[in-house]
Amino acid sequence: MFIKKRGYFFILDAMLALIVLSIGIFLITSSYVDVPQLAQVGLLADDLLNFLSNSKIKDINNPYAGIGGALWAQGLITDIENTLLQQIGEFYATGNIDTAEKFIANVSSGIIPPQFKYEFWIDGTILYPKVQSAEHTESRNSTEILLTSKKITFGIINKTTSNLWGPYKAEVFVWER
Amino acid sequence: MGAVKITAKKGIFFTFIAITLIAMFTLMLAPQADISLQKDAQALQTRISAMDNYVTDLESRFFEAALRATTYKTILSLIFYMNSTSSYIVNIDSAFSEVMLTGRIGGLPIDAITGKKIMENNTLTDWNNRMIETAKDTLNVNTTISVINVSVFQTKPWNIDSRLIANFTVKSNVAEWKKSSAVSTTISIESLYDPYYMVNTNREYTNQIKKSSVEFNQWTIAKVREHLRNGTYVHWQESDAPSFLMRFTNTMAISSCCGIESMVNPNKLIQPDQWDSYADYHFWSHKFASNCTQLYNITGLWDEFRHFKLDVGHVIKYNITAQDAVKTC
Repeated sequence: MFIKKRGYFFILDAMLALIVLSIGIFLITSSYVDVPQLAQVGLLADDLLNFLSNSKIKDINNPYAGIGGALWAQGLITDIENTLLQQIGEFYATGNIDTAEKFIANVSSGIIPPQFKYEFWIDGTILYPKVQSAEHTESRNSTEILLTSKKITFGIINKTTSNLWGPYKAEVFVWER
Repeated sequence: MGAVKITAKKGIFFTFIAITLIAMFTLMLAPQADISLQKDAQALQTRISAMDNYVTDLESRFFEAALRATTYKTILSLIFYMNSTSSYIVNIDSAFSEVMLTGRIGGLPIDAITGKKIMENNTLTDWNNRMIETAKDTLNVNTTISVINVSVFQTKPWNIDSRLIANFTVKSNVAEWKKSSAVSTTISIESLYDPYYMVNTNREYTNQIKKSSVEFNQWTIAKVREHLRNGTYVHWQESDAPSFLMRFTNTMAISSCCGIESMVNPNKLIQPDQWDSYADYHFWSHKFASNCTQLYNITGLWDEFRHFKLDVGHVIKYNITAQDAVKTC
């Protein structure tokens, strides 16, 4: 009789320990879940800006922004060695703000997952989206995490006369909807 | 009863072990301490990486771009300066450096002399200051740039090279970079005005640098006519002509690497009939003025360019035959 009671006691003790351990592990792992969100938003902002500053016009196959594309045909893109970020800066410096907005929308589509929103600013001016919807503004104002990535951009407009533009601060803001 | 008491004590003992183990696991795996450390390290790494990119950009791209832009503007300003003053530059290196860094020549703003806004807000110092401000605003770093030297020279006939040597420091609350940088850039001289024509004709005859497309062994009298008509320039191997930069200082000596020459169009001169070779660097230095035995009337072109003459060396170079060239004496 005494021996049987001792057995139940140990089983109950082990089960209690198991429950405590499970709760502990659950709490630890669930507390990790929130952390990557912050990193993810930051990575997306960095990724987008790095993509824009490391990819050149000659590197992209895009019917709007690439070599032989619409902007190329219009003579708005002339230097294939320009990075995408430099091209945006050049559009801004030459007053082609609408073109800059379309260019950003075109080259950045698919890079930022749909559950995230983003803005592109240059020299303190928002280039994308130029007109913000109420939903966009609401989402930006109510988000818990909004992160930014910044870079300096500059370039030469005309290779012959060597007209320098910039240096401008280029900023990407990313947040979750 | 005594046995039961001992067993119950053992149970408590196991429970304490279990609680101790849980406490240990919880402390070991506690996310807060781990994440805060990781977060700090990541933030620091991101910041240093951003600054490092900026330093690389500054050194490898910005200085080159700023040097390129200001070299073109400085040369253009010096040409307009010579046009305005009808005088040569005494020392091209010091004039180039002063204009490029300060926008002044002899202490006076060059734009005020030329009447053209070229260097205003466009000196190398202006561009460096703009970068310093933007870096402060964007990355919250303090940058200091001190230019040690800028120089201009030629290594190829159709290009101008410039070189910048600078020390710079980039400082933030987490790291500091101290570097020395030497960058060079090249601009084309094509489409720039030849200052030698401007000064010698008191701005009445201007000629832009345009490279002739004729190969050295393809010259004919017809091509010389086109050459003269278009005011194009030629570089001959082992030429005795001066380089483009030597034309700023009236140094009509041999340039071993970069001599270029054009032919003076007699129709554009107030006095078209001159007793000289019309190769530009001989024409205004009057090298053949008292040496008519080596001078030829290029009669093959006189229907369009009356009085056009060349020295014997150029008659041979341009493959002008006896039927188109007649000795002047």
